[in-house]
Amino acid sequence: MSEPLYDLRDIEAAHEKGGERVLHVPALTIARGEILGLAGHNGSGKSTLLKVLGFLLEPSAGELFFDGALVDARAMRAGHVLRRKAVLLAQETRLLKRSVAANVAYGLKLRGLPAPRELVARALALVGLDAAGYAARPWMRLSGGEARRVALAARLALDPLALLLDEPTAGLDRDSAEHVKRAVMGARGERGATLVIASHDMAWLASCADRVLTLEEGRIVSGL
Amino acid sequence: MDYFSEGLARAVDLLLALDAETFSAVWATAAVTALALAASLAIGLPLGFALGHFRFPGRRAARLFVDWMLSLPTVVIGLIVYALFTTRGPLGEWGLLFTVPGMAVGLTILGLPIILSMTATAVESTDVNLTQTVLSLGADRTQLLLATLSEARFAMALAAASAFGRIVSEVGIAMMVGGNIKWHTRTITTAIALETGRGEFATGIALGIVLMLVALVVNLLVALLRRRAR
Repeated sequence: MSEPLYDLRDIEAAHEKGGERVLHVPALTIARGEILGLAGHNGSGKSTLLKVLGFLLEPSAGELFFDGALVDARAMRAGHVLRRKAVLLAQETRLLKRSVAANVAYGLKLRGLPAPRELVARALALVGLDAAGYAARPWMRLSGGEARRVALAARLALDPLALLLDEPTAGLDRDSAEHVKRAVMGARGERGATLVIASHDMAWLASCADRVLTLEEGRIVSGL
Repeated sequence: MDYFSEGLARAVDLLLALDAETFSAVWATAAVTALALAASLAIGLPLGFALGHFRFPGRRAARLFVDWMLSLPTVVIGLIVYALFTTRGPLGEWGLLFTVPGMAVGLTILGLPIILSMTATAVESTDVNLTQTVLSLGADRTQLLLATLSEARFAMALAAASAFGRIVSEVGIAMMVGGNIKWHTRTITTAIALETGRGEFATGIALGIVLMLVALVVNLLVALLRRRAR
């Protein structure tokens, strides 16, 4: 069996340093290429777990291994190196005040990579948006659903090792949600990305995920 | 009413004839405003950004100080700058009293807190979600700083437009520090005050028209920037 991408041992997390513990994961491994679903009520710890996996929140205790290496305080200080491999689409993600194409190309430019038009167009096509009609459009002329799809396209363009999605279909109409679901499945199928998806859409999670974990009050209560 | 319409007609004549005295005041206004705005932006944008972005001891006191500066009456600023630049003042040997650069110093003190405060507020209000979004896309600290700067660009331009509007229409500092010297430090606002006092309404109205056109352009710009800054 290949080495897991994530290995969490006795991980605890709080929203603030020294604050109340809101997540406790005694043991969790996530295999490379796996699709892991996270279910649970609001406030159950799904988003917190995703932020830990996306290196946006440093665990207050425990050991986290990623891509074969221990993520310690020193590694977290250079967190951008990790975040370039594990990309989170948070629920509150917003677009930059730029055009759609500039938003999609932004992450590539942060990495010093070229962002040719064809690549941007391909990423937009993955989420069902036509580059001819959308690439030059400014951020403020997008609906909420379109903005969400552009944000996902920006992450798909990065071809990350792990794609972490927090409620990717929340608030979307049926068409937009279908595009997002297809794009997410494409990320695994074509690219072999590891996916961790938090969603209230249990039917979708059940149909696409290899495993679905249920969280309650910051703990995994089923699915391990 | 005739009195006003005659004044208005003569004002239009003065403007169309490119009256030298009228345009001398326009150029003096343009020069002093450009200098004061450039200085306010050069100092205010980086300091305002630092005030809004970084957390450091004394930050709240610094914000309070800037807000206090915002409410300083212009005659008090004029008085302080006059006292500094007068021949017996500590900076008297610089010879800046009754000069365009001297007026620009006073007007910079007026414009700077506007730029500082609005820039700091703009940077503070680039929400937590922006930070999370940019970091999650792989930005390092410098890239995050640049992204914050970029996202606040419309709000900063709005700050610049607001400071411009305040500086260009100021009269107290310009009068006290500039001395309202014809062909030299007489600006649109000080000329209007003087000409109106002398009963020369036509020149006053002509200059008022120029100032109102400037105000209109600035307000249109502000409205446009406000929409984009949201």
